[in-house]
Amino acid sequence: MAQLTVAQQQRRSDAERSTSRRVGDWLARFAVPWLFLLPTAVFFVGWALYPIVRVAWFSLLDYRPIQASRPVTFIGLQNYVEAFADPLLQVGILRAAQFTALFLPGMIFIPMLLAVLIDRITNPRVSTFYRLVLLIPAMIPGPLIFLLWKWMYDGYIGPINYVLVDVLGLFTIHTQPQWMSNQLVIPALAMMEWWWGLGYHTMFFLAGLATIPRDLFDAARVDGANEWKMFWTVTFWRLLPVTLVLVVLRFGTAMAVIDEYLIMGGFMRDRPTYTWTVYMWDTAFQGVQDRGYAAAIGWVGTIVMLIVVAIMFWAFRSRD
Amino acid sequence: MATQAAIPGSAALTAPVRARHTSPRIKWGSVLRHVILAIFALIIILPLAWVILLSVKSLPDAYQNEIWPKTFDWSHYVYSLQKIPTLPQNYTNSIVVTLGTVVITTICAVLAGYAMVFLEVPGIRIVFALLVASMFFPTRVTAVIAIFETQKDLGLLNVPAGLIFPYVTLSLALSVFVMRGMFQTVPREIYDAARIDGAGRVRMLLSILLPMVKNGIVVVIIVNFVTAWGEYLLAKTLNTNQSAQTLPVVLSAATGGMGAWVWPRLAAVYIMAIAPGLIAFGFAQRWYIKGLQEGALKA
Repeated sequence: MAQLTVAQQQRRSDAERSTSRRVGDWLARFAVPWLFLLPTAVFFVGWALYPIVRVAWFSLLDYRPIQASRPVTFIGLQNYVEAFADPLLQVGILRAAQFTALFLPGMIFIPMLLAVLIDRITNPRVSTFYRLVLLIPAMIPGPLIFLLWKWMYDGYIGPINYVLVDVLGLFTIHTQPQWMSNQLVIPALAMMEWWWGLGYHTMFFLAGLATIPRDLFDAARVDGANEWKMFWTVTFWRLLPVTLVLVVLRFGTAMAVIDEYLIMGGFMRDRPTYTWTVYMWDTAFQGVQDRGYAAAIGWVGTIVMLIVVAIMFWAFRSRD
Repeated sequence: MATQAAIPGSAALTAPVRARHTSPRIKWGSVLRHVILAIFALIIILPLAWVILLSVKSLPDAYQNEIWPKTFDWSHYVYSLQKIPTLPQNYTNSIVVTLGTVVITTICAVLAGYAMVFLEVPGIRIVFALLVASMFFPTRVTAVIAIFETQKDLGLLNVPAGLIFPYVTLSLALSVFVMRGMFQTVPREIYDAARIDGAGRVRMLLSILLPMVKNGIVVVIIVNFVTAWGEYLLAKTLNTNQSAQTLPVVLSAATGGMGAWVWPRLAAVYIMAIAPGLIAFGFAQRWYIKGLQEGALKA
């Protein structure tokens, strides 16, 4: 080895250096940036991506874990064949759609109105006060909101019927509205959701309004437009992108609602709150715990929802 | 007018406008605007005022159907903590789960947001697309069966802290985008200058960039606090022992009016459940609203 020529030595150290450089490059270009993303990736893959794939796999199985003697077998699309013919699933998707149809307009337009009103307030303290008050419900987690409203709608203790019966005298104790009855539960839930979303969505619209150049309003005013006209010619169109994002997001939320129904609806199958989500949970965790079929119910409901979301994206796509 | 009928709430919108133009001297428009906003503020505040009053009513008053109590009884708070056996445990569970979720998600989101803005991450487009897609996918609902099975495999059923793992993912994508939006507001020159001065990536993140994105961190903390503190479906599904459950599950299982759960005590527990969030919001609201305006809502 001692006889290595200078040239050979030179060549070898070059080779070593380039390997270490390659490793170094790889570290710098791939490993280091991914180190920063690793924690996010672990949780996202482990508790979001993998469960999604796994539940798709379950939907292809005959899988009832509490019946230990029943073997877990691969049955292909059998669960889906059953699910598509299942009237309860069809009704369940329809019920979710009915709730969504009631939920969406109030969730979008009331906050839009409030944002326009707050945006015009010139006194910064007053406008901050309104923003803070409206944001209070956004600081209370959903399920706790649902509990509060469940009590508010109560026929004995609830203040809503107290006002309607004892204060306003609109109803008697016998004719008072039964808010949790099959007839009223969906509108009652929708009103509750509006209350919850009031502040948060108003903040979205206020952020949208803040991006509108003020001289657009001044120009419109010079042209003699009143507030009403100005809203429809300037404000509404400028808010349209924010509105469409909220419509798509909240459509998805509303179609897949479950906590509200579990807290206020129960498991009666003729209840309007017995939607596909409740049906899925009921099938998976109660009775015979048919997790394979439940997974198929969940996927059918989800795919129907996603198809509508995709159509919305296509319809709302920016045409610039 | 044809369009008006199609838009709920628009009738109320016209009113101030008309009024303003008919009598310009008194600003009727402005008066009506404040009346409408004040009504909405009351709609927000009154339900909460009602539940607070209920929690300090004496037991006979609670069943008298009067909003304002004749005699106040402040004992329900202490009583329910002492007499409802699992309640202190449930409260602790909620705190542990929420704290864990908030801390882990915030760290994840800061690191990921930083990498997405300042580092060239190979394959970032796929990550980005997956995160965006996940925001439109009801993972918590559709995949609840598989999350249950995964937690079972890991032996985490009825382990309160086990909830942290699925909870981190609930607002993870949103949190990452909030932090990404915040880091994008940092001028690139600051990053480059610090790099040339030889600051390491981690040190720069901690000492230079973190103070610049603190409003976004407040938003991430609050969003994740609200998600984890109140989550119901997974908590109910994964932890079925009452001693392993979190506050919202126990509260919602309690039927009001009977035994230990008489209405005022139920209300007292409720107030104890929503108070931490509202108090924290009271302190952090300034940064929260700023954070929302700076980057969060753009994401």
